[in-house]
Amino acid sequence: MSESEVDPQVTDAMSELVRLRYGDFLNEDQMAEVRTGLEAVAKVSEELRAVKLENGDEPFFVFKPYRGGS
Amino acid sequence: MKASDVVFKTVRQLSELVKSGQASPVELAEIFLDRLDRIGPKYNAVVTVTRERALEQAKKAEQPIRSGRALSMLHGIPYGGKDLLSTAGIPTSWGATPFRDRVFDYDATVITKLEKAGAVLCAKLAMVELAGGMGYRQPNASFTGPGRSPWDRETWTGGSSSGSGAAVAAGLVPFAIGSETWGSILSPANNCGLAGLRPTYGRVSRHGAMALSWTLDKLGPLCLTADDCGIVLEAIAGQDREDSTTTEQAFRYNESDISEKTFRLAILKGALDDVDEDVRVNTQAAINLLRRFASIDEIEFPDLPYEAVTRTILSAESASAFEEFMDEGGPAGLTAPEDRHPYARSAISAQDYIKALRIRTKIGRIANDLMAPYDAIVAPSRATPATRIDMDFRGVILGSAKDTMGAVGNSAGLPAISVPSGFSQDGLPTGIQFMGRAYDENRVIAVARAYQLRTDWHNQHPTAVMP
Repeated sequence: MSESEVDPQVTDAMSELVRLRYGDFLNEDQMAEVRTGLEAVAKVSEELRAVKLENGDEPFFVFKPYRGGS
Repeated sequence: MKASDVVFKTVRQLSELVKSGQASPVELAEIFLDRLDRIGPKYNAVVTVTRERALEQAKKAEQPIRSGRALSMLHGIPYGGKDLLSTAGIPTSWGATPFRDRVFDYDATVITKLEKAGAVLCAKLAMVELAGGMGYRQPNASFTGPGRSPWDRETWTGGSSSGSGAAVAAGLVPFAIGSETWGSILSPANNCGLAGLRPTYGRVSRHGAMALSWTLDKLGPLCLTADDCGIVLEAIAGQDREDSTTTEQAFRYNESDISEKTFRLAILKGALDDVDEDVRVNTQAAINLLRRFASIDEIEFPDLPYEAVTRTILSAESASAFEEFMDEGGPAGLTAPEDRHPYARSAISAQDYIKALRIRTKIGRIANDLMAPYDAIVAPSRATPATRIDMDFRGVILGSAKDTMGAVGNSAGLPAISVPSGFSQDGLPTGIQFMGRAYDENRVIAVARAYQLRTDWHNQHPTAVMP
């Protein structure tokens, strides 16, 4: 897999989303660690997007409709 | 009956003692309860000693024995359960301070099945908080403190089933139930010198167990031998209406003689690159021994982001499983500083999660086809022996060697067993794992049994805890 650099704008945008939702629980040091985590999320995302799949490559979704009672 | 008569005896040996009347379930329970009380705290292995319930179950187990009607091989045998398994009326903490006093009013299916088999619950065992799902990077990540290995208290038991590993390795219980989402059974098996079995996904009901990642979580045994793992798995496996992911395929442990059997094994190309030197030496010695009764081919998985797939699924599902907890700021009450801000995972997109699930389908097919000619793939259980109690273990593990086996095995839901392969120069256990195709637990157990038939590592125990 390629070790491409993560676009800082992507990380900035994700950081802002996290700050909006969880900012009340985070001090600046913790927010900096979250940003490191977001860089990892962005890198993993690039690794996933580099894999080419066919339209018919579907996940193993097994949904069983529930019917309870009689 | 003395402790030295029963401690570090296998489940199979204890079962013979119980059935023949040489040991009573109450005697066994009292010996192991005493050890849990006295020795457990030294290793931060125990959350709750379930004395009252244990003695009640043990007394109940006496009568059928006297009538010659043992319910199973586990009849009258003490055990411990990781503290993410619900137990009616007994606290179930998930290893986390915010849930420390929470009590459920029902038993997890695994607990119920073991009770039906006659086993005796003696303890709820320590674990990494929330099964490590918040991203811990060092062992001090539980309100019970870091899991300390009976082989050396300054080293880590592995996790997240830390107490399950320590308790069996210290002779506090003959077997324990752990859970694995990614590495949480094989890691303590490796660090504590035990047999640990990660069953096929869906083999064992997770009803009543804490959910970390619905499509990755598995429950399985930690024991002294691979043979014991087979015995315990037979008792806990099976379809459960309360867990829709459980398989219809029944599991019966195949106990047949394997002393003359030969096997076909494979090893991943580069499996011994970038691992600790003691691990490399011990694994190479194990491979040399395996060649006496098995062929070993070198194989290679195609280039795919195995770890990225498993990490994305785990992180996205755990973000949902603990959404309310996170929204309420619950992580601030956790022990490990790095567990207090697990919020980056909330930014994983649905598109990436589904992409990971789609790649997982390919991984499952690739693994199945690649492994079809073989009984198992062999590899070191971990890249290192136990790390120091104050070390960042992720730097040690991920910095040097990729965990392709763990990523493939857990994302594809494949069974694997780890058994001890020797000791490091510092006297710490190392492990070797055998991973099979889905539902092939009997094959991987058979290979591990054949290996243990020819080795003595599993008969060695920490001197500090000998009775």
